[in-house]
Order: sequence, then C-alpha cells, then structure tokens
Amino acid sequence: MLVIGVLAGLATAAVAYFIPWLPDQGAKEAVQIDNVYWVATIICIVIFGIVAGVTIYSVFKFRARPDDEEDGAPIHGHTGLEIFWTAVPTALVTAISVYSGVVLVGNEKVQKNHGVVEVTAQQFAWSFTYPDEGITTGELVVPIGRQVELKMTSKDVIHSFWVPEWRLKQDVVPGVTTRLLVTPNKLGTYDVICTELCGLGHAAMRARARVVEPAEYAKWVQDVKAARAQGGTAQGKELFTSAGCGGCHTLADAGTSGQVGPSLDQALKGKDAAFVRQSIVDPNAVIAQGYQPNVMPQDFGSTLSKAQIDGLVEYLLKATGGGG
Amino acid sequence: MMAIEAYEHHGAGAAGHHAPPRRPTGLRRFTAAGWLRVAWVTPLSFGLATAIVEGARAGLGTPTSWHNQNTFQTLLVAWYVMVPLGFLIALGAFDYWFYWISGRPTRPEDHSSHGARSWKDYFRVNTDHKVIGIQYVCTTFFFAMISGLLALFMRAELARPGMQFVDNNQFNGFFSVHASVMIFLFIVPVFAGLGNFVIPLMIGAPDMAFPRLNALSFWLLPIGGLIMLSSYLIPGGAFSAGWTNYVPLAVVQPDGNLAFQMGVQWAGASSIVTALNFLVTIITMRAPGMTFWRMPLLVWANFATSTLVVLATPFIAGSQFFIMFDRVLHTNFFNPGNGGYAIGYQHIFWFYSHPAVYIMILPGFGIISEVIAVHARKPIFGYRLMALSLMGILILGFSVWAHHMFVSGMQPWLRIPMMATTLLIAVPTGIKVFSWLATLWEGRIHFRTPMLWAVGFISMFVLGGLSGIYLGSVPIDQHASDTYYIVAHIHYVLFGGSVFTIFAGIYHWFPKMTGRMYNERLGKLHFWTTLIAFNVTFFPMHWLGLQGMPRRVSDYAPRFADWNMVISIASFALGASTLIFLYNMIVSWRSGEPAPSNPWRALTIEWLVSSPPPVFNFDEIPQVVGSPYEYGVKGARHAVMGGERADVQEPHKVGSH
Amino acid sequence: MATVAHVEEHGHGPPPAHQSSRVDARLLGIYFFIGSEIMLFGSFFTAYFFARVVIAPHAYGGHWPPEPFKLPVYVALLNTIILLTSSFTMHWALQSIKRNNRSGLIAGLALTFLLGLTFLLIQAREYTRIGFSPHDLAFGSTFFGLTGLHGLHVFLGLNLLAYALVRSIRGHYGPNAHDHLGVEIPGIYWHFVDVMWIVVYTTVYVI
Ligand code: HEA
Ligand code: HEA
Ligand code: CUA
Ligand SMILES: [Cu+2]
Repeated sequence: MLVIGVLAGLATAAVAYFIPWLPDQGAKEAVQIDNVYWVATIICIVIFGIVAGVTIYSVFKFRARPDDEEDGAPIHGHTGLEIFWTAVPTALVTAISVYSGVVLVGNEKVQKNHGVVEVTAQQFAWSFTYPDEGITTGELVVPIGRQVELKMTSKDVIHSFWVPEWRLKQDVVPGVTTRLLVTPNKLGTYDVICTELCGLGHAAMRARARVVEPAEYAKWVQDVKAARAQGGTAQGKELFTSAGCGGCHTLADAGTSGQVGPSLDQALKGKDAAFVRQSIVDPNAVIAQGYQPNVMPQDFGSTLSKAQIDGLVEYLLKATGGGG
Repeated sequence: MMAIEAYEHHGAGAAGHHAPPRRPTGLRRFTAAGWLRVAWVTPLSFGLATAIVEGARAGLGTPTSWHNQNTFQTLLVAWYVMVPLGFLIALGAFDYWFYWISGRPTRPEDHSSHGARSWKDYFRVNTDHKVIGIQYVCTTFFFAMISGLLALFMRAELARPGMQFVDNNQFNGFFSVHASVMIFLFIVPVFAGLGNFVIPLMIGAPDMAFPRLNALSFWLLPIGGLIMLSSYLIPGGAFSAGWTNYVPLAVVQPDGNLAFQMGVQWAGASSIVTALNFLVTIITMRAPGMTFWRMPLLVWANFATSTLVVLATPFIAGSQFFIMFDRVLHTNFFNPGNGGYAIGYQHIFWFYSHPAVYIMILPGFGIISEVIAVHARKPIFGYRLMALSLMGILILGFSVWAHHMFVSGMQPWLRIPMMATTLLIAVPTGIKVFSWLATLWEGRIHFRTPMLWAVGFISMFVLGGLSGIYLGSVPIDQHASDTYYIVAHIHYVLFGGSVFTIFAGIYHWFPKMTGRMYNERLGKLHFWTTLIAFNVTFFPMHWLGLQGMPRRVSDYAPRFADWNMVISIASFALGASTLIFLYNMIVSWRSGEPAPSNPWRALTIEWLVSSPPPVFNFDEIPQVVGSPYEYGVKGARHAVMGGERADVQEPHKVGSH
Repeated sequence: MATVAHVEEHGHGPPPAHQSSRVDARLLGIYFFIGSEIMLFGSFFTAYFFARVVIAPHAYGGHWPPEPFKLPVYVALLNTIILLTSSFTMHWALQSIKRNNRSGLIAGLALTFLLGLTFLLIQAREYTRIGFSPHDLAFGSTFFGLTGLHGLHVFLGLNLLAYALVRSIRGHYGPNAHDHLGVEIPGIYWHFVDVMWIVVYTTVYVI
C-alpha cells in the first residue's frame, strides 16, 4: 500500500518537477506567487498520492471473483479516522489560505516612488498613457526594478490585462478603475494578452510590454516626443501602433500582423486620402468583403486630433503606396 | 399553485379503475391534447405573437421594420415566450388545470396519462415518474451529443494555430453553445432524470408528489434546449459571449444572444419545478420506517441539490432578465455609462452559477455512494458524516461565489474571505472522498462497468478538485484565471466528475430502467477508451494554461501547436468512445438479456421490485426496517415488501461507530 | 424502446402513499415555491443595491433619487395601506370557510380581489405620471424592476384569487382542513405578496 502510494506520489512529483510548468519569472511578485504555487503543489501531490495509492491497492487487493457471493467486512465507520480526515485537510487548506493571504498583501504593498501608467482598453486594442511624461503609446514600456501601478479602465466591454511572466492579471472594466501593481525585474519583451472574452477580436488583442534599463526608458520617452513634434508621417507611424491600429490590421511597413480587420497593405492599395480618412473616422461606411461592421472603434474622429488624423492618413498613403 | 393536485395520500387507490385512455375520433382529434393539436396551435401562437408585437408597434406609431434590430428583438422575445406556451398548452400540459380553474366538478383520476404502453407514450404528457425519468435521460443525451459535436468542431479549428475552418464569430458561438447546452441541457437535467426514476422507488413512494407538475417540468426542458440551438438561425449567428454571458459584451452582441437568455429561463424553470417536487416528495412520501437517517445517500444528495436549485436558480433568472431588459428595453441595469455596475452582473450570475457547480456534482456523489457500497459489498463508511458533509457543501457553497471574480476588479477586500471559504470546501469534499476509499477497503469489489466508472471517478474528480484548490488561492488565480488551466479544471470536475458519475449511474440502473442487461464487454471498453482519451485530451491543458494560452481563443501562439494537435486527436477518440456507449445502450435496450429484479444483490428498495418496475411501483408500500447499506451484516434488511411484513423484526442494531 | 413497463391487466390504481410528514404536500410545495420567489426578489434587490450603494454615491453627487427625480411616497403609502387591508380580508375569507360560512368566503375573496386590483390600477397610474422611465439611469431601471416584479406578483396572486373565487361561487370548498386548501394556498401566496410589498416599499420609498 505504502509503496504504491509513494510510487504514485513520486510519479506525480516527477511530472511536477521535470516538466517546466511555469513560464519565466519576470517580476518580483512572480517569485512570491510561484512559491505559493509550489507549496500548493506539494500538498496536492501528497493528497493525490494517498488517494491514488489507496485506490490502486484496493483494486488489486480486494477484487472479488465474479462468482464470489461473500460480502465485505461490515465496518460502519471509525470516529477517530473521521476526525483525522476532517482535521488534517482543514489544517492544510487553512495553511494555504494564510500563506496566500500573506503573499497577496505583500504583493499589493505600494512602494514609495512608484511609477504610474494609465491603461485604456477597447475592442481590440491597448493604449498606455504615461502621465508623468505626457505621452500615450501602444506598447507598455517600463524601467526595470521600479514598481509601477497600472490604472486601468475600458471604453467598451470588459477586457483583462495579463503578462504571463509577471503572473499578474487584472480585468479592465468600463466605468471602474482597476489597479495592478507590478515590479518587473527582468529585461525583455513580453506579450500583453487580453484574457477576458471581449468579442470577435479577443484572440488577437495583444500588445507588447518592454522592460528596459532606466536610461533606455528615458531615451525612449524622448524619441516618442520627438516623433510627435515632427508631425506628418513620423507621427502617423507612431500613432499607428500607439492607437492600436496594428492590433487588428496587417501593415508591412509598421511590422504589424493583426488579422481582425482587413490587411491595409491590400485594402488601401491605390485608394485616395479621402477614402483613408473616411475609413478611420467612419469605419462602417465601407466594409471590406468578408468583414463585419461595428468591429472597429467608431470614435477615432473625436479621440484623435485633426493633426493626428492628418498624420495617420499621410503615413498610410505612403506606406501602402496610395496616390494622393 | 393550488391547482396542482398532489399525489393522493388517502385511499384513492381502490377507487381508480385503470381504463384504457379514451381515443378521440374525427375532428375531435385536432382539439384533444396531443401532437395534432400542437401542429396547428404552435404556428397559431407564432402568428399571434407576431401580430401582438407588430400591432403594438403600429399602434404606438413606431415604424415596423424587420431590419430594425429593436423590432426584431421584441419579436424574438414574444416568440420565445408564446410559441413554447402554445406548444405546452396544445400538448396538454395544462389541460387538467384549466379544467380545475373553471370550477367544474372534480374529475376522478383515471390514471390514463400514467405509464407507458408503447413507445408513443414517451412522446406525450406522461405523469409516471419512470417514464419521465427515461424521457429526461434520452433528451439530455441527445443534447449532450450535439454539444459534444460542437466541441469537436472547436477542436478541429484549434488543431492548428491560425484560422482554418471557421471565423471568430462561429468559434465563439461554438464554445458558448457547447458549454450552455452541456450545463443546462445535459448535466443539470440528466441528474433530475435519474433521480426521477430512482428516488420515488428508493423511498418507497408510488410516484412523485406532484405528477402533473413533474410532466410539465420535463416538457419545459427541450424547449429551453431548442431555443438555445435556434440561435443558429438568427441573423448574426449563435450567441457567442460564453456561457457566462458577461455584460456589457452580452448587451452589444447580435440578436442571437437573446436565445441564451430565454433558453436559460425555460431550462431554469424546469429545474426549479423538478427540485420543488423532489423536496416535497422526499419530505412527505417516504415509506414507513424510513427516517432521515435511513435514507440512501442518493436521496440525501438529491435533497441537498434540490435545495440549492430552489434557492439559487432565481438568481440566474434575474441576471438574464436584466440583460434582456438592457437589450430590448434599453434599461441601464448594468450600463456603466448610466449608473449601472458591470461587475454587479457577475455577482448575481455567480451567486447562482457557483452553487450550480455543486448542483452538477452532489447528485453524482450520491450515485457514487450507491454504486460503491453495492459493488464493494460493504456498508458506506461513516454514513452520517457522509450525509452531513453534503449539507456542509450546500451551506458553504453559497458563500464562495466571488472566487470566480478574484481578478474581476470587484471590491478587493472580498477576495481573502472568499478564498478562505472556497478552500474550506475541500474539507467536506475530502470527507466524502476518504469515506469512499475506506468503503473500498476490505470490500469484495466486483469490477462491473458501473464500479469501474465509480473508481475512475474518484481519481479524476480529485485531480479536478485539486486544480480547484490552486484556483481558490488568489495569487495563483491571478496567474491562472481565464486560461486553459480553467478549461482543464472545468473538464476534470465536469467530465471526470459529473459525466463519470452519470455513466456509473446509467450502467448501474440500466437493468432496472429497461428490464435488460447491458453488454458488459462493451461497457468496459467504453470505460477504458474514455479514461485514456479523456486524460490525453484534458491533462495537457493545465500546462498550456500556465504557459500562457488564454481561454476562448480561436488562434494561439505557434509554440502551443503540438500539444493542441495532440488534444484535438484525443478529443476525437473521446467522441468515438461515446459512440461505443450509444451503440451498447441502443442494442442492449432492444435485445439485451432480460434482467432479473436484483442483478447486483443490492439492498435498496428499487431492487425489490421487478425490472422494469410495475406501473404503480408497489402493490403495497414497503416497510423500512434498517439502514440501506447493511452489507455483510447477517440477516440484515433495509426494507420488506407488503406480504412478509409481519414476521420480520428489526435486525440487531449495529452501532455505527 | 422495445421494452415497456408492464401494465397490470386487471387494472388497479397505485397504493396509497405513506404520509411521512405532518405538513400537507401542497402546503410544503407552496412554501418552497415562495422560498424560490424570495430569492428572485433577492436578485432584483441585489441589482438595486449595486446601483444605489456601490455606484450612486460616486456618480450622482450622492443623491438618491438622483436629481431631479422624485418618488411618489404618499401614493405608495396609500397603496401599502390598501394591500395591508387586503391581507385582512383574505384572512377573513379563510376563517369564514373554516366555520363553513360560504357567503363570508365569497365576500372575503371578492374584497381581496378588488383591493388587489385597486392596488394594481393605482400603480399603473403612478407609472404614467412618475416623471422618469426605466431608461433613466440605473435608478429608473431598478425602480421599475423591483416595483414591476412586485406588480407582476400581484397580478399572479389576483389570478389565483380569481380561480378560488370562481370555485367558491360554484360551491367547492368546505370546513375540513383538506377541503379548503384551494383557499388557503392562494391566501399564503397573497400574504407573501403583501409582505414582499412592505419590504419593497421600505427599501425603495422610505429608506
Ligand atoms: C462540477 C463542477 C465543479 C466542481 C465540483 C468544482 C469544484 C471546485 N472549484 Fe471549480 N469551476 C467549475 C466547476 C466546478 N468546480 C467551472 C465550470 C468553472 C469555470 C467557470 C467559467 O468561468 O466558465 C470553475 C471555476 C473555478 C474557479 C474560478 C477560476 C477562475 O475563473 O479564475 C475557482 C476558483 O477558486 C474554482 C475552485 C473550485 C474549488 C476550490 C472546488 C472544490 O469544490 C473542490 C474540492 C475538492 C477537492 C479539493 C478534492 C477532494 C478533497 C480531498 C481529497 C481532501 C484533501 C484536499 C486538500 C487538503 C486540498 N473553480
Ligand atoms: C459537462 C460539461 C462539459 C463536457 C462534457 C464537455 C466536453 C468537452 N469539451 Fe467542453 N466546456 C465546458 C463543459 C463541458 N465540456 C464548459 C462549461 C466550457 C467553458 C465554455 C466557456 O468558456 O464559456 C467548455 C469549454 C471547452 C473548451 C474551451 C473553449 C475555449 O475556451 O476556447 C474546449 C476546448 O477544447 C472544450 C472541449 C471539450 C471536448 C473536446 C469535450 C469532449 O468531451 C466532447 C466529446 C464528444 C462527444 C461526447 C460527442 C460525441 C458525438 C459524436 C461523435 C457524434 C454523434 C452525434 C450525434 C448523434 C448528433 N470545452
Ligand atoms: Cu479584449 Cu479580450
Ligand atoms: Cu465556483
């Protein structure tokens, strides 16, 4: 019995240990969360070992021949055992509760000079505003080692912000500001994944999160501001990613490959400025073959300034080789 | 309500003569209850609904246009309310009550709507709980197959990254309809079906407390299912906001979303009515001598489940009404721009839908207790604690709903208390698991098909429960929520849990329900193929989820391609294994070996009558003289039938501890 | 489906069931049904709670009802009194049949029915001149939701009363406990509708 139990436990433990279950740890919080995960895993392996062990042992040991008419032993219960298997799981789950609570509270402690990024989600794009720098972009760039607070809200339906390497996830809800605190501690580029079903483009609603050295962060801020100041196609190109267009549309020049909406390389080929402008501010006016209305946001006419739209149109014409 | 004739307790038996039902002739056939009346009343109510809506529109001066989304939604609501009502009236579900309301002299009961003499009797309003049980089981399996087929379509699309066969709208429709139909048309009602057949027999009752209401509650069910499936006919496609139908997405979806709301109302009404019936039956119609502490655990489980259904289901009804109002009447219950609270919907939804997961597993626990005791030839270990732990889950189950909302943006302080209660549910559940194991211990285990499913269930359900423990811990859930880890959890508890118990129950009571034995070899083949295919399908999903694959996506990162291919192939094997089951059931029902009345040498009352049981179950109500699980106790009996009553004494009381 | 439960050809009805509880099945049934109804109201109260307690303090400058809306508290008070009275007439109807006083039964039921109908008509009138609609913020939606759900229950109750009335006029019912369940059960339901109104009134109009 014991042997089977231990074997079952060992097998499970091997599965748990040798398969890389969790992705890289990219944040301070991730380390803590993984610790909870492993504690839970140890407890669960023991429990499953016992259950599987007893089952397998019983299956072999107490199997009756088909013609066996005898009954088993008339054991009705055993108070001691029953108390035991009430008390021990209670203790174990309480331990998990307490530990999880401690980790949760620790992870959500606000550090003094933390940064703030305002996150806005909409079908099907992310945008990130840096109030301290006064810029808005389509990718999340944060300096390493500093806690950032994401203040998130949605323009339409519920979305959810998730970076697997950070182990943190938070729904983004219209009408409510939700918060997520994270302290990235590993350089790199990660996926921001929308995990709450938000409509047709849900599967494609991704953005990038870059964790960079503080110096690089400062430089990046300068670059974005410069592009803004320059106007025209430079600003247009920057907007194309920051307003989230690339999340849904393929455009070779900007290196995007979204598939929710039509590929702009094709749809805008040979079109004039008026058409491009109309497609941005009133996307339902002309719907490309095979696509549905009401998928693309219809408020760019009011959320973008005239100069910004001009820049976008100019850039798109240039990038798709359209005439003007 | 008072129009519902309860089961007559006092001596109606002798009077009622069992006349063959009067067959109407000529034009009468079109006005008498039945399918001919359905054939003209249902289209008529369709026309009436249309006329009312269009008339009201014209009267109010609003332009009528079918392309106007609002008009069409109003029409849909009218159809989904009135066509089913017309159908039920025509089929005869209300005939007796209409007669009663009119205040004419009370008609003596002739039992003409009771029992099945030919296969046709399964297709009318029948008041026999055994017929209704079979109606339920067949209907629910029909819907399960359709829903499983949708899952297979989904797996076909997911076999490779990128888009293959369907577009996003169709894909979202697949998992939404798949889950809704599995939950509301398969798992929840199939237990009501098994319970319907078995519970009255088990407690020694001639029928359910309200036979006519029982018939009605069955016929409400297919209506709910057909409404859900009908969403495929609505412009814009099937409802596709997931079975959770979160707002605001649900409000801005195409019209098909209404089919979910209305379907849930019909199916929900069906479960509430059945649950009421179970509660009253269990409380008022137990055989003499059957105290609460002598009830089989399946009866206990049904009691707990029915309480959950009666108290929780109104919340999902409410939640879907609100969405319907927000859509059709443009109210602002959950409209964030106008003082509504989007997350409020989730609270109301989960206040039903978390208890619902126990609605979907507690009856299974009951089935497993019966099957294990009988086939291991041992008394259930710790009977009282087993019953109490059911009640414990029932109570705790109402206090954990927000564990589905740890990352939803609700009030943050709610998380830690909800985590504590969530994890505590492991304790009563653990008691059950350990008691089953202790029942196996030193038993004489006969591994017939039902027992295989029962033993398989224990390990599979524990895997699912343990993944629930991970999710119950807030920090882990922050990572795992809304990923394939959840999909793995869902299927381990619902397939490895509920569906395994359903198979155990079907094989266990198949001889009783049909009077024939199923094919044991096919049964075992079914078990082993399912067990393997099931694990290959769903176990890798844990890994996918933790690694970063979100749920409800039609497309995924290329690095997940290999495992998704494996999963898809295994899921087709899983579908194929179901075909073995169907074949076995159909062929055995038609030409299996005739079953003896008690093939498993079980003690509970349903095995003391013939297989299948007589129309009125008993000639005389049996007398209960002991616990239902006295296996191995010399001379012990649970119940004695009418004639032999006098000379049996209560067996020597065996202390339970 | 070849096998079919066999029918006893000599034909007799079912054996009388054993009555294992002192409470009549039908009474128990209506009690559980009311339990379910209370939960349905519970879901509407929950929506109301979210609109009023969770959202409103931050959205309408803390005003409830939000400016410029006003609730017709006094009309509703009148309605409360009407409905309360109807509970007494219902009680009277039941007491009458217990004493085999048939005209008392009929009069009681008829009065209750009329009072209930008055309630509904006043409510309908109130709706048309109340100054806001279900579209007006979550406030309007939850107000019409709760009072409308209650109105629907009054309507259902009126139906039950009408059946009981018709049957009592046709000479059904008697003084034995078993013979006037058809009055007692609509009565229980009616009292429930009444109590529910007091809860709705207190939460929506008074607090
Ligand atoms: C039959 C259905 C069923 C059952 C029984 C359960 C049982 C449990 N579930 Fe599950 N759950 C679902 C069906 C079910 N669930 C579904 C359908 C969803 C997804 C809904 C959706 O979003 O679509 C879901 C989602 C879900 C979530 C939300 C995840 C998310 O969306 O982020 C959580 C979080 O806490 C959770 C937890 C649990 C827990 C703790 C149990 C416990 O009851 C499990 C208890 C059992 C055991 C623990 C095993 C046996 C015990 C022992 C052997 C004792 C010893 C054990 C220990 C000491 C640990 N479930
Ligand atoms: C009881 C519940 C139940 C059951 C039994 C199943 C069974 C299956 N489920 Fe499902 N599933 C859910 C409940 C269930 N599921 C829920 C609640 C969700 C969440 C949905 C949401 O996110 O909203 C979900 C989601 C879900 C997903 C995730 C979708 C997503 O998030 O993108 C997937 C993906 O693989 C899946 C697959 C399967 C498969 C392969 C089966 C297999 O077991 C199916 C096996 C196949 C059959 C049983 C059919 C066999 C039939 C034939 C071979 C043809 C015969 C046909 C006729 C006679 C008409 N399910
Ligand atoms: Cu946004 Cu999913
Ligand atoms: Cu839950």
